[in-house]
Amino acid sequence: MLIDEHLAEKALAAALERGGEFADLYVERRASMSLSLEDGKLEKISHGLDAGASIRVIRGRSISFVFTEKTDEKSLIEAARLAGEAAGRGGGRAAPLAPVKPGSVHEIGEPPDSVAAGVKAELIKATDRAARARGPEVVQASIGFSDDVSKIMIANSEGCLAREERARVRLIARVIASRDGSYQTGYDSIGALKGMELFESASPEQVGSSAAEKAITMLDSRLAPSGKMAVVMHRGFGGVLFHEACGHGLEADAVEKGASVFAGRIGEQVASPLVTLIDDGSIVNEWGSGGFDDEGVPTQRNILIERGVLKGFMFDRLRAMNAGVASTGNGRRQSFRHPPIPRMTNTFILGGDSTAEEIIASTEHGFFAKTLSGGQVEPATGDFVFGVSEGYLIENGKVSYPLRGATLIGNGLVAMKNVDMTAGDFEMNIGVCGKDGQGVPVGSGQGTLRILDMTVGGTEAQRR
Amino acid sequence: MLDVAKKALDVAMATGVEQAEAFAQLNRSVRVKVYQQEVEELVSSTGSGAGIRVIGGGSVGYAYTSDLSPEGIEAAVRAASDAMSVTSPDEFAGLPQPAAEFPRLDLYNPRLAQVPVADKISLAMAVEKAALGHDRRIRQVESATYSESDSSVAIANSLGFAQSYKDTSCYAFLQAIAEDESQMQTGISFVTGREPGQLDAAAAGAEAAGRALALLGARQCASMSCPVVLDPFVTASVIGVVGSALTAEAVQKRRSMFAGRQEEPVASRLVNLLDDGTHPEGLASAPFDGEGVPTRQTELIKDGILQAFLYDTYTGRKDSRASTGNGVRGNYRSQPHVGPTNLRLAAGAGSAAGLLSGVELGFYVMDVTGMHSGVNPVSGDFSVGATGRLIRNGNLSEPVREVTVAGNLLDMLVGIKKIGNDNRWVPFGGSIHAPSVLIEPMTVSGK
Repeated sequence: MLIDEHLAEKALAAALERGGEFADLYVERRASMSLSLEDGKLEKISHGLDAGASIRVIRGRSISFVFTEKTDEKSLIEAARLAGEAAGRGGGRAAPLAPVKPGSVHEIGEPPDSVAAGVKAELIKATDRAARARGPEVVQASIGFSDDVSKIMIANSEGCLAREERARVRLIARVIASRDGSYQTGYDSIGALKGMELFESASPEQVGSSAAEKAITMLDSRLAPSGKMAVVMHRGFGGVLFHEACGHGLEADAVEKGASVFAGRIGEQVASPLVTLIDDGSIVNEWGSGGFDDEGVPTQRNILIERGVLKGFMFDRLRAMNAGVASTGNGRRQSFRHPPIPRMTNTFILGGDSTAEEIIASTEHGFFAKTLSGGQVEPATGDFVFGVSEGYLIENGKVSYPLRGATLIGNGLVAMKNVDMTAGDFEMNIGVCGKDGQGVPVGSGQGTLRILDMTVGGTEAQRR
Repeated sequence: MLDVAKKALDVAMATGVEQAEAFAQLNRSVRVKVYQQEVEELVSSTGSGAGIRVIGGGSVGYAYTSDLSPEGIEAAVRAASDAMSVTSPDEFAGLPQPAAEFPRLDLYNPRLAQVPVADKISLAMAVEKAALGHDRRIRQVESATYSESDSSVAIANSLGFAQSYKDTSCYAFLQAIAEDESQMQTGISFVTGREPGQLDAAAAGAEAAGRALALLGARQCASMSCPVVLDPFVTASVIGVVGSALTAEAVQKRRSMFAGRQEEPVASRLVNLLDDGTHPEGLASAPFDGEGVPTRQTELIKDGILQAFLYDTYTGRKDSRASTGNGVRGNYRSQPHVGPTNLRLAAGAGSAAGLLSGVELGFYVMDVTGMHSGVNPVSGDFSVGATGRLIRNGNLSEPVREVTVAGNLLDMLVGIKKIGNDNRWVPFGGSIHAPSVLIEPMTVSGK
């Protein structure tokens, strides 16, 4: 129990003393641990405790948000009054609290905070050994492990009371391989909304070995060419591109301000009929999931684009109130220190009827993007740029030699219209999405698919 | 906060560890975001916490807590010891000896706390208004923000260091959105200071609006190899990447394109790059770094020759060198690690316009995307998305978008032909004081 229900009710009443339509309280106690290994040595091992609360008052389109690291009665009521101060005249009312049911339940088998540091240390050592065993070219491996267990309580003036305990575990491997003075890097990671039982179904050795293999493969790479060509996005990782290039434009804050290419286009064909884009925060134990979002709204499956037609946006409570609709369970925040905003959870394009082999075989000349290294998008225009850390040339329907230094550049809308083949080999990848200075865990996924006419920016011309 | 740090240090030393350090921080912050002349978001906070580092047998353990009660501190000390028990022993681990002298810096302005919140809201509104009033095509302003922080930091370690300092900082930021029949474009600006009276709202609003307008009608241009001028924002993102590659950690871990290049030319003779933890305007300035080592000025590149790397205590010991006062830490939740403070690329002789004057056909870069993901830190190869304008016969001409600029960071530094005198502080990706630069040739990939 983080704080007593009575105290929560008192704080909400104090927040609305001077008016405001809505108030909510978020209390969190998060224990976290991170370990990292470099050069075979365990270094920078750290435990953290973040405990605190925030109170928000909404009045019209305006929010006042106060957070504090103290959760005693005096501090909470003070914070609540401060949040309510800006609200203006006339008292609002807080309804009595009643528990709300989650959208899904995410069991924690073995809570990471109950596991000794030594056990986690062994996991990352095993990852390191597997990476190094992959080949003599591996000169450097950095392995990171992090976990956290959060107890969360959310209460609001509409009477919603949500409690949840969330555990997350994540393992990351970054490997550098070298041959003849050339260096290349490889990356892989796994993570889930569960406890240490993650490693019953996923092996740390596989993560190390796969990152090493990517780095070694890229040693044989040539400089990528530039120009427009068909781009085949490998299953899993390509989802990041749609997350960035389309997902952010479907978040209601961007839409509300017209700072999105999708604003006012519900019902329109915005993508190829092969594209069905979904955001689902209720997938059991998936990295980007939760029983509730961070405003106590049960998570659910939201269809954003169906067969190319724009169906809906992702809302938090504030934007939903503004638009006169219900929240879609996408109000998320990094911690009690951050106000909730519309965010993706697990966002993915449904797999299609083709196979990856068919897609490659039917591509005469193109670029096969196997692993993306990250990217950026301008939501107002949908313009994006992505680095490709592992890419290949496709020649005459076959994957040819690896290419390095390539960047994918384009526009989200155009790219989604140019999807002309999708495969059924669906896979989800994990990451941390940054927006407005807040990082939240997100999943993104897709099957292998092809996008026609995408600009590949390479470095070949410069060296020629 | 010094009392909190000293008490936490005592609790840690009572467990029998060889060395310990406590870092305590109290931070008050206010952030106002306005939209269409109404407050969209007002965030206020008070937060405090401590980070505890313990060292024994060459192993380091770290824990932090936001709970400063005696029980909270004790739990953090136990957690730090638990972390220490599995860390690999490292002969170079250890705390710095206390220094005798520290730079005297004026980082605290009491006016920050005295200015009423209503005035800070007005400032954010003035920023938005200035952008909207600049031109009819400025349709709206996203994130017109005023943000401030008032913090006090104290460090106590078992070698006898015990000091604290206070600092204030604030900034205003906005992103203006320009729109015509064909498209939407965005432009940003920001101003920084130690109290809100130092922030010029009108200038920030007008600049963001001007940047967005300049890009309206942008199109992809043809691929070419040509001279390129980076505006100060873009130079700053390049310098940010260069700065991370100049840390001793990057070099020691063979993750730097500068490894083994000391005393060699790594850039054009025009390039003078300094890390300056003492600059009064630099928001990363402090009398001492995150482990209590005095900050200073460190020449990184002088007349194009690589001079030095940045060190914290640990990386310094590895190379038998003293820390350069670059053991940075963002807050009590993070362990100190080596990083730049304020990076300053020295201004050149000519004006920004002078950089364009000799260019017959070139590209003026106003924004790059993917700078961090798009650069290979080892080889320096990069490829980034860019927007900006073409340069024709020495003048800024039609706007350009959806192109990539690719090359190698080292080649780029060597290719710097002119540096402008239009230095400004850029608070993103570090605290960087950067001018415009002319580089040639570079590859621009478009259609």
